[in-house]
Formats: sequence, structure tokens, C-alpha cells
Amino acid sequence: MTATGIWNELLGLAGRDGGERPYLERLLDAWCARYGVGGAGLYVDTERGAERIAAVGGAPFPALLAEASEHDLIEVRVPGGLVAYRRGGASAGMQTADPLPVLLACALRNHRLRRQIDQQRFQANYRGVELEALYEVGLAIASTLDPQELAEVILSRAVSLLDARRGALYLLEGGRYRLKHTVGGDAPPEFAADHPGIERLRREEDEGLCDLLPGAAHLLCVPISIEDSPRGMLAVGDKERRGGFGPFAANDRRTLGLFANQAAIALENVRLHIEALAKERLEREMQLAGEIQSRILPKGVPATPGFDLMGWNRPAQQVGGDYYDFLPMENGNLGVTVGDVSGKGIPAALLVSTLHSAVRLMLDRVEVGPILLQRLNQHIHASSAPNKFITLLLAQLDLETGDLRYVNAGHNPGLLIRADGSSTTLEPGGLPLGLLAGGAYRCESLHMGPGDLLCLYSDGITEAASPSEEEFGLDRLCALLTQYRGAHLQELVQLIDVEVREFSAGQPQGDDQTLVLLRRAIAGPLRSGD
Amino acid sequence: MTETLRLTVDKRDGYAVLYTEGYINNQGGEEIARVAYDLIGEGYRGLLLNLAGTKIVNSIGISILIEVIEKMLEVNGKLGFCNLTPTIEKTFHIMGLAQYAGIYKDEAEASTGIKA
Repeated sequence: MTATGIWNELLGLAGRDGGERPYLERLLDAWCARYGVGGAGLYVDTERGAERIAAVGGAPFPALLAEASEHDLIEVRVPGGLVAYRRGGASAGMQTADPLPVLLACALRNHRLRRQIDQQRFQANYRGVELEALYEVGLAIASTLDPQELAEVILSRAVSLLDARRGALYLLEGGRYRLKHTVGGDAPPEFAADHPGIERLRREEDEGLCDLLPGAAHLLCVPISIEDSPRGMLAVGDKERRGGFGPFAANDRRTLGLFANQAAIALENVRLHIEALAKERLEREMQLAGEIQSRILPKGVPATPGFDLMGWNRPAQQVGGDYYDFLPMENGNLGVTVGDVSGKGIPAALLVSTLHSAVRLMLDRVEVGPILLQRLNQHIHASSAPNKFITLLLAQLDLETGDLRYVNAGHNPGLLIRADGSSTTLEPGGLPLGLLAGGAYRCESLHMGPGDLLCLYSDGITEAASPSEEEFGLDRLCALLTQYRGAHLQELVQLIDVEVREFSAGQPQGDDQTLVLLRRAIAGPLRSGD
Repeated sequence: MTETLRLTVDKRDGYAVLYTEGYINNQGGEEIARVAYDLIGEGYRGLLLNLAGTKIVNSIGISILIEVIEKMLEVNGKLGFCNLTPTIEKTFHIMGLAQYAGIYKDEAEASTGIKA
């Protein structure tokens, strides 16, 4: 081919869109022909060394050329790169007047410019990926309440966007940082909340936590925190570059901090959601427990000729297990009971229900006494969890005579205020129901004369606390009952309620409060001798 | 310790499938490029990268994949990807890989495109 023909062909190739490689190869062909070389490679100077961008001839040329002589090549420098060819060729050496070196230099410059444009386009596109990543992390926060899933999304995005080789995400749980997700290698499953490296992290000294990513030469850590309260730790290691890795750039800490902020918001959302669910569940449970309890408690009082009777209960905010009942018996006696179940909520309400049924079923068959209480105890012991028990004071009143038989199974001592103002207590005669399967009970009896007032109550009354944590106590209750033993029972209940509340001085009611008052009428039926 | 990408190759009639497992970063990308160039040297003109085992790709990995795509175009070959996570698929679209390489739902869909 004539020289003019080659120039025309090169001009045509140079002007063709995307024709860089055919142009370079034709240029090298022309160079080989001009200098009598069988094959050659064209290399462009880069940070990594001379990179091959085209080659002609049968023999292979290395992709990266650090030192041409190592490959038995001869190199001819041109601006921006070099031409390498094998020894043994009949090169006559390039002439300064020769246009080929000029064309090669132009080609190399074009190649570098094209590469720069590609890199800038790549970086511009990658900015789009970064924005997309932050957007997706935001979406993930809105779409999942699974902390593990959130940890994976956030860490994966942080590691990939920062070109980190490694990464780990820890959350603070039970006083320790626990590993939730890792990328690119192992990390310790947990570390102490007072790890000395955490304090150094406040001064952006990441190396204090280098044991988080064993083997990583460069570490970048940011805390996950909400209003300065630590919630976790986000760590990445070894920023990758082409062919190796190095330290992170200054603005990488800011980027990682953005992910940590997103993580903090997401995790706080999860925590608040879990709390809201628990609160809702508790409220539902309390409502249900309250309904159970309100159905069990008597709606009124039975007819008790010769006796005034009053029952009153105010549940605490968290429904407890206070219980009272009036049980007219087939023999004309009246059963009266007050109890208190350990615990709160549904379990306590169900145990009250169990006791309520058992007392109602048994009382007509077995009189109040040790045997009845033993059976109730066995039933409650078999029906309740090991740590559950019931204190119970069960009494049976002969409405004709005023004789009262009672068994106190670990309940607060009842109070009998005599018409003359003297008083006596109804002390426990056995352990609370449900504690021991073989519990034994002692039955006591007393006589209620005209004007005598019996008060059964729960510890919500006597243990009501003042702001200084003093309890209302049995003595105050006894004094009130004594002073107002002749008052209308409803007024007496209101009086006690007011006194207890004033004593508490606005303190929240900690436990259910129950009062049962029974007073023999002065003009009521009297047995002989009264 | 640092984990590296695991790569397995299944040579089929007219194309080869590369299964990746792990992070496509600098190390992972270089391994893919090395194996891909060997396959091209063996005469394969259709390569399918099944990324079912990969959840993360970084910018270095993407740049190496672009080089592999360019290499395939130079030899008039075809490169495809399948089983991408939605995140990686979106990244490939934004970075322009989808313009020069096929993005397929799975191997069954890809085999037709790669062989054609």
C-alpha cells in the first residue's frame, strides 16, 4: 500500500465512531512495516505503569509493563506512552521527521482523554448509585421493623458505597455490643460497652477499636446513637483501590455517619414500635382482667336480717387480685370471704375466678373449718403456678345467733370492733392457699353481739403509703372503725377511703383496696343471753 | 479474617456460566476477570455471570466488570448477568452495564440470550 493510502486509511479509522482499537492496530501495523518489526504493543502511561492498549503481531505482549527489558522487549518512548517490540527485529530507529511517532502520541493522548471521560462518567453514575443507596436505606427503614434485616441493609450499603473490604454492625443489648451483621470476614460476636476504644472514638481515633475487624489495616468506626445515648457501632475496614487498599478518605467518616444516623432512626422506630405493642397488649390484658374481676365481685348484698352488710372494692391501675364475696348458705348462714391473689393482670384474675368457683361449690357441702380450707388449698395448689398463692379469710355467720366461725389462711387479720369500743383481731390460722399442698388450718370462732362491727379488708388499705413511705397501718384503721363504729356502713366506707387517700397525699394507688363491713344491728335478732 | 469471593465455572455448549458467592470487590472482580479472560482465551464467546450468591458489589468490582464487558465486545462475544438482587440490578442499570450486557431473570432466560 502506498503511503498516501495508509494515511487515508488511518484518517478514515480515526474519524469512525468507536474505531479506536482498529485505528491503533493499523497505526502499529504501519509502524512495524516502517521499521521492519514483526510485532509491537502500544502502551499508555498510567499510575500502575504502562498499560497495553493495542498490540499487533503474533507474539503476546504483557498487559502491564513495568520494565520492558524484563520481558525481553525493547521500548521506544513517545509522549504519553511507549511502543514495545521484541528483540531481533530490524528496527532502523524512529526518525524525528517521521509522522508516525506524532500520530502515536496523538493516539495515546486521545486514549487518555477518552479514559478520563469514561472515569468521570463512571463517577457521575456512581453518585447516582450513592443517592439511590441512601434512598433505599430510607425505604428499608419505613418498610421493615426487623432489626436484623435493617442491620444487613445498612451495613451492606455502607460497605459497598465506601468501597470497604470489611464491615461489621453492632447493637448495644444488655450492656454489651452484640454483632448483628458482618461483611467480608469475621468479627468478634460481642464486646463490652466500656471498651476503652469507644472513648477514643469520640476523638475520631478509630485504631482504639481495631480488634472489631481482625486483620484490617485501616479502620473507620462511627457510633450509632440517639441524642448522645449509644445504641450501636458501625465499623468498616480497608478502603479498596484498584489492585489494593488503603486508608479511608476524610469525607468517608461523614458518609458512614449518615448511615449510622439512618440506623439510629430505624432502630429507634423499631424500639418505639415494640414498646407500643407491649403497652397495647398490657392495656388489653388489664382491661380483660378488670372485666373478669368485676364479673366475680358481688353486685349487691344479700338479705341479712339483723345485720348490716357492705362490700367495697377499688382496683389499682394495674388490676390486682383482690376478691370478696357474700355466700348465702342452704342452712341460712352467711358465708363471707375476703382474699388477695399474688400477682397482677390476667393470671391473678383467672386464679381469683378459680377460687371464686371453688368456694361457691364447696361451701354448701362443707362448713367453714379446717377440712374446707384444706380442700380449697389442694385445689388452688393444683390449679396455680408454683409462685402463686391466695390469702383468704373465710367466715361463716349464723345470722340467728351471731356466732361466727372463721379460718384465716394467711390473710390480714380481720378486726372485730365491739359495741363498747374494745376490739379483737381475727389472726391467721394457716398458710395462704396454694403454697403447700399439705397445709393445715385452724378454725376459730367468736360471737357478734348487737352493735359489734366486723371489718375484713385487703392490704391495699393498711399498706397504702404516704409520700414518706409510711404505711396507713392497722392501728389507724382500727381507730377509725372504733370512732365511727355506729356510722352508716356506706358512710364508714367513704370515711375510710377519704382518710386513706389523704394519708397517701396523691401517691398512686399501688394495690387493690377492699373493705367488707358487717355489723350486727342493735335491734336485731338476739340469742338468749344477749 | 477476610473472606474472598468463591467462583465456580460450568462450561456448557457454546457458553460458560460463572457462579459467584460473596462480595464482588477488587479481589472478587479480579478473580472474575481472570477466569473470564481464560474462558475467552479458550474460545468461549458467551459468558453468563450468575450472581445468586452475591449481595454486594462495590465500585471497584463494577469497574472490573465493565472491563470484562469491553473485552467480550472486542471479541464479538456476549456477556450476561442473572439472578441479581434488586439493588445490584438497579446499580448495573445506573452504571450503564445493562447497555452492553444482558440482564436476565434466571439461567433459563439467559441461556437463550447468551447463545443467540
